[in-house]
Amino acid sequence: MKLFAYTVSLLLISFSSNSFSASAFAGRAKAAQVCSQCHGIKNPSAEAPFPPLAGRDELYLEKALRQYRNKTRKSDIMNNIAAGLSNRDINNIAEYYTRLKP
Amino acid sequence: MTIKTTFNKSLLAASIPLLLSTGSVFAKSGSHDMHKLYEENCASCHGSDHGGYLAPALNSETLKGRSPTALRSLIMTGSFETLMPPFFARLSDSEIRSMVKHLQSTPKLANPAWNIKEMKKSLKIYVKDESKLATAPTYKIDSMDDVIGVAARGKYGRGQGSEAVFINSKTHKIIGKVPTNTAAHIIEFNPANPRWAYVKTDAAEVYKVDLYTMQAVRSIKTGLNGPAIGISRDGKYLMVGSFVPHNAVILDAETLEPLKQFELEGIDPDGKMVSSDSGMIIGTPYADIFAIALENAGQVWVVDLKEGFPVTKIKNVGRHLHDAFLSHKGKKLMVASYDDSIVTAIDLETRKIIKKLPAGCVPHVGGGSVVKVDGRTLGFGTNFGTCDDNTVVSVWDLDTMEVVKQVPVSGGTESPAAHANAPYVAVDIITKDRRARTIQLIDKKSLEVVKTLDVGGHAYFPEYSADGKYLYVSAGYAGDEVVVYDAKTLKKTANIPMESPAGIFSRGRVKYMTRGLSPDEME
Ligand code: HEC
Ligand code: HEC
Repeated sequence: MKLFAYTVSLLLISFSSNSFSASAFAGRAKAAQVCSQCHGIKNPSAEAPFPPLAGRDELYLEKALRQYRNKTRKSDIMNNIAAGLSNRDINNIAEYYTRLKP
Repeated sequence: MTIKTTFNKSLLAASIPLLLSTGSVFAKSGSHDMHKLYEENCASCHGSDHGGYLAPALNSETLKGRSPTALRSLIMTGSFETLMPPFFARLSDSEIRSMVKHLQSTPKLANPAWNIKEMKKSLKIYVKDESKLATAPTYKIDSMDDVIGVAARGKYGRGQGSEAVFINSKTHKIIGKVPTNTAAHIIEFNPANPRWAYVKTDAAEVYKVDLYTMQAVRSIKTGLNGPAIGISRDGKYLMVGSFVPHNAVILDAETLEPLKQFELEGIDPDGKMVSSDSGMIIGTPYADIFAIALENAGQVWVVDLKEGFPVTKIKNVGRHLHDAFLSHKGKKLMVASYDDSIVTAIDLETRKIIKKLPAGCVPHVGGGSVVKVDGRTLGFGTNFGTCDDNTVVSVWDLDTMEVVKQVPVSGGTESPAAHANAPYVAVDIITKDRRARTIQLIDKKSLEVVKTLDVGGHAYFPEYSADGKYLYVSAGYAGDEVVVYDAKTLKKTANIPMESPAGIFSRGRVKYMTRGLSPDEME
């Protein structure tokens, strides 16, 4: 069952059209910002039902995102968010979150 | 302060094409009291009357013709890079569906009644005998002026993340957290007794906080929405105002008992009788008065703190007033008018308009900033509009009441910070893209932007520590921390985590009156 059919990469494209040049880091930070809406940057809200990502094992995060992408792990929301992520996006985001101290 | 204006839908929300299923993922829907659900989850941002507050109005008029599917998805995911949080899994799918229906069929509600009687009933006492409280701070601090209070909104504008967080601005350590139930918005410090602070929340509750023991001792609900709060120079009275309903009330600062209520209405600059939101309310070191801006009526009322609390009305101040700041020992009041793009200077002694000064596009002066530079008293005003990409910070000579310069900055701005000992005036860029992460610094002497700091999150509400050595900035929205910089070198000194931080208030400011002025200017 599909709840969302939007892609994060589409969102990233629309972001890079602003006056700041889109460096690789900017893209990563931006992706993180999309994810942080629910997961928080360091911690999700005390009140929110989303799992934390900061400081988690990099391989675990990559695997989870691949599983969401190919729908071997089911979550209406994450299946649709991960659907638009490239391998590079997944590596970048996983690396980004792993390095953050929660 | 707050923004109540038309919002553009964020880039992101607009670019989400949708395909929603008809079935519910969640087992149960049940018949909910939608109004209650709205009050409990949405009203503190969108307004109890569905008329908008710091988020857009949600009613049958504003949501007419909008796709229910798109609205549902926006409510589930939230709107990225704004304060709109994701309600996925917090509300069930069927609750969100019913909510959309409810919003699209509910007109903006009439001004609800919230009078002295309701206020009195809402008074809560957490500490019965204040005389038993410790008589000095229960933590180490050189001076209470070093206390900085941060209004942590909490992601959902209520609940566990919503608290007033107090920090020692010399050590950058948290000295206390006071839960506020709904998002804290403004923190006022008692000028006469350093132990008391007052926190106003978006749901118009006022908390009296004991800074020595870091706890709330009392609270009262003075309305349904609205941030305005001011304190008298003798620390005896508070005046608070609401957007919903349109009233203001004077409270006894010790007991929080309401003393007198004011209905906010008057003839606007276009000659129409209107009921009005409460804009800023300010006490002044100059006299025993409060000044209050009637947003829609374009009037400033001066209330004398004596028998009967008589009011002097200053009319035709400008269209859609909002916030203001003081200068000249608290005698001059500079009031921002959104719709006329001016800042009106008022003499609080004669209670007359001195002059209307040109500002930038939609002036939102925040707490304002005033600094003495080479013998001149310079006022700095931020502007949050972005007309024709012409974004400036206005600088006025407040002695002669002339424009000195409109300083180009990289986007809309919402609040400035200055300090007698700090070389730069900090302004927060709030334009909704990468720029929102930044703070720009204007050199006091050259009046040019000399540096841009990448703070992160939605960077806003800069404030200097009482000694002017540190610049505090909220990395708001999902940034979830307050970032501290050395005021001279601009090196990052500390990060202080908290949920969706917003307004930052230094206790030092009760002495400085306005950000930037030094205590000598107060003699
Ligand atoms: C609208 C809210 C939302 C957004 C935006 C979102 N997520 Fe999620 N995420 C969730 C939810 C809900 C879950 C739990 C799903 C489940 O039950 O497996 C989750 C789970 C995850 C997990 C698994 C965590 C674990 O402990 O197994 C990862 C990894 C993840 N998300 C990464 C991301 C990334 C990366 C992004 C941004 C590209 C993102 N999410 C954006 C809501 C969101
Ligand atoms: C913490 C503050 C906050 C809370 C709580 C909140 N919202 Fe919002 N909401 C916002 C902001 C800010 C926006 C504007 C977002 C933008 O500019 O994209 C918004 C936008 C919206 C919109 C889009 C309006 C439009 O005209 O495009 C809808 C619909 C909405 N919210 C519904 C809700 C509902 C329903 C709730 C409660 C379940 C709620 N919101 C709770 C802050 C909030």
